Amino acid sequence: MRRYGVAVTLIVVFALVIPGGWVQAQGTVKITLWHAMGGARYEAITKGIAEGFNRTYPSYTLEPLFTGSYAETLTKAIAAIRAGNPPHIVQVYEVGTQTMIDSGAIIPVTDLVKPGEINFNDYIDPILKYYTVRGKLYSMPFNSSTAILYYNKDIFRKAGLDPDRPPQTFDELEQMGRQIIRSGAARGAVTLGWPAWIFEQMFAYHNKLYANNENGRTARATKVLFDQPFGVYLASRWAAWAKEGLLVYGGREYAPNRAFLAGEVAMLMQSTSQVSTIERGAQFAVGTAFLPRIPGQPRGKSVIGGASLWVLKGRGRSPAELAAIVALFKYLNQPQQTAQWHKDTGYFPATQSAVKLLEAEGWFATHPNFLTAFKQIQTGPDTGATRGVLLGNFVQIRDITDTMLERVFSGRMTPADAVRVGAEEANKVLTEYNQAYK
Amino acid sequence: MEGRFPDRVLPYVLVAPSIIVVLLFLLIPSGEALWQSLSRVNPFTGQATFVGLHNFIVLLSSEEYRHSAGVSVVFTAATVALSLSTALAMALLANQRLRGIGLYRVALIWPYALSPAVAGTIWALLFEPSTGIVTFLLRATVGVAPNWMMNGRLALLVVIVAAAWKLLGYNVVFFLAGLQAVPEELSEAAAVDGAPPWRRFWAVTFPLLSPVTFFLLITNSLYAFFEVFGLIDVITQGGPARATDVLVYKLYRDGFVSINWGLASAQSVLLFVLVAALTILQFRYAGRRVFYS
Repeated sequence: MRRYGVAVTLIVVFALVIPGGWVQAQGTVKITLWHAMGGARYEAITKGIAEGFNRTYPSYTLEPLFTGSYAETLTKAIAAIRAGNPPHIVQVYEVGTQTMIDSGAIIPVTDLVKPGEINFNDYIDPILKYYTVRGKLYSMPFNSSTAILYYNKDIFRKAGLDPDRPPQTFDELEQMGRQIIRSGAARGAVTLGWPAWIFEQMFAYHNKLYANNENGRTARATKVLFDQPFGVYLASRWAAWAKEGLLVYGGREYAPNRAFLAGEVAMLMQSTSQVSTIERGAQFAVGTAFLPRIPGQPRGKSVIGGASLWVLKGRGRSPAELAAIVALFKYLNQPQQTAQWHKDTGYFPATQSAVKLLEAEGWFATHPNFLTAFKQIQTGPDTGATRGVLLGNFVQIRDITDTMLERVFSGRMTPADAVRVGAEEANKVLTEYNQAYK
Repeated sequence: MEGRFPDRVLPYVLVAPSIIVVLLFLLIPSGEALWQSLSRVNPFTGQATFVGLHNFIVLLSSEEYRHSAGVSVVFTAATVALSLSTALAMALLANQRLRGIGLYRVALIWPYALSPAVAGTIWALLFEPSTGIVTFLLRATVGVAPNWMMNGRLALLVVIVAAAWKLLGYNVVFFLAGLQAVPEELSEAAAVDGAPPWRRFWAVTFPLLSPVTFFLLITNSLYAFFEVFGLIDVITQGGPARATDVLVYKLYRDGFVSINWGLASAQSVLLFVLVAALTILQFRYAGRRVFYS
């Protein structure tokens, strides 16, 4: 009896340990995709893209898996890389770009896709440039966004403002905000989604570098530059807004949407990825506009955010798997697919042919809010400052700048002090990173 | 009942599963954490370079870490004090002979059954700065409501109340059980001697409850120190400006957001030492005052 007991225990233990994936139907080539698309975007991936791809290519099976927030997805992917069993493709947000490049765990898209297979020149220039580092396209552009200004037209009307004339500058935003609050149309004027990212946007938008070595693009960045006078100035303007009650802090990432959707705040600076979600959730007329500018500052343009698709090496991929990945990228690159993804979410239609298709359909005429970001990203010079920042361990630096801004908004530190302390913390992170990845 | 095993092997076989589990999920990871705390770890390859006490020096000299330690102490002390006192008061009330007392008891124990994520979401929604019910009620009655998520002290208060509430059910169960074990004759005898209810409680009931109170003090402190990650993550994410950045949350940020495993492991080692010390201290000093009938 005893001997059987041991055997049974072992069998049970192994049954628990062996992953289900080992026992699976043969025949099709399976590729897995880990992503962070919640909300309306989840359906767009699982129903739209995966089902469509699997129907078009019966010999391939794409298995998308929602793995939590961007940060969680990245952590899980790294754990899987270490364990030697990562997904074929992982969606990583733009701040993970430098980390992924340095990881040694990826196959750059340039090395994977043969010349002529995908016409990368069809991609909208700023998107292609963001993910191209020192001449190499590392990841497949997928969901690109930028920040725009959303405003509540009903509140504007109630406050006696022209609902078709949103503020174009910081000064106008202040004046209109005061009028909105004075008239009682809303409790606050403006709130910021992803505050640290909006802070970064403002640098590119006014053609200012955020980090040295051309935003980390000619060589790895060793120092952030947001403690320069522009950063202090920007933080002081926001501090004044917060003190006056114009700016209502609503938390990080997408949390501030709630105050805007509830009609508590008249304006929201937020990612374009929320156009669809906000239009669906709002019980008022939603307007969108370019981000307001700071008068007297040089013109740049807003910068790309969102995420891209990275191919992971794992313990080596078979030619069939690589072919399946390329097939998926080709599928995503089709104008109809790119256009549909845009319609479902609000992310950029990433290619020029998709834009033409949408124009021919008359999509933008009936959905003007989907056009705002697209126009914004194409207005302004293409300089080192507007191509997006690459920083080692940018994830941690985002957290540092978010904290810095919370100190500014709550008045716990003067803008100058907060920015100085934030930059010191960020520089320490860069030093550690550059030591770890020589 | 003196049972004997027929031979020497069977007992080992029987305890083997738990030994394996402890080894796999406790001892081996702990050893790894100890090793990583002395290393700089490449997250992608897992390759560890020995750096000695570098991580500990970085931690102990960083103001951020000391700040987190301070927040943790305040948070733990306030949560435990608030939860224990409220739970005791409620247990006293629930220890009466009332119609429908079963219902009340179930309602009191309820919060304990909720997952941290659900409990956190409830409190986050209640105190949402623009759409929360508490915000709304305050505006309707007092006229103003603070932005809970911008004021560090208020945010800390919200998570303390939420954590204390989460512990309440657990504490009430133990206090109720403790109260029911207190012999009624003792209290009656004191009443006959003319002791007022308040004095009867302090002189008779409370000392008899001391083993329960002591046990709860330890479990509650451990909870407040170690297990509040879920609540904090859902309600404040350690903010605003790190006002609710308790030690476990900082560990999570460094380990799982910034992927700095060496630093995070060093923090877990320090936490382990801290909690061991805390428990020893509590047994040493608080334990003396415990009156086991």
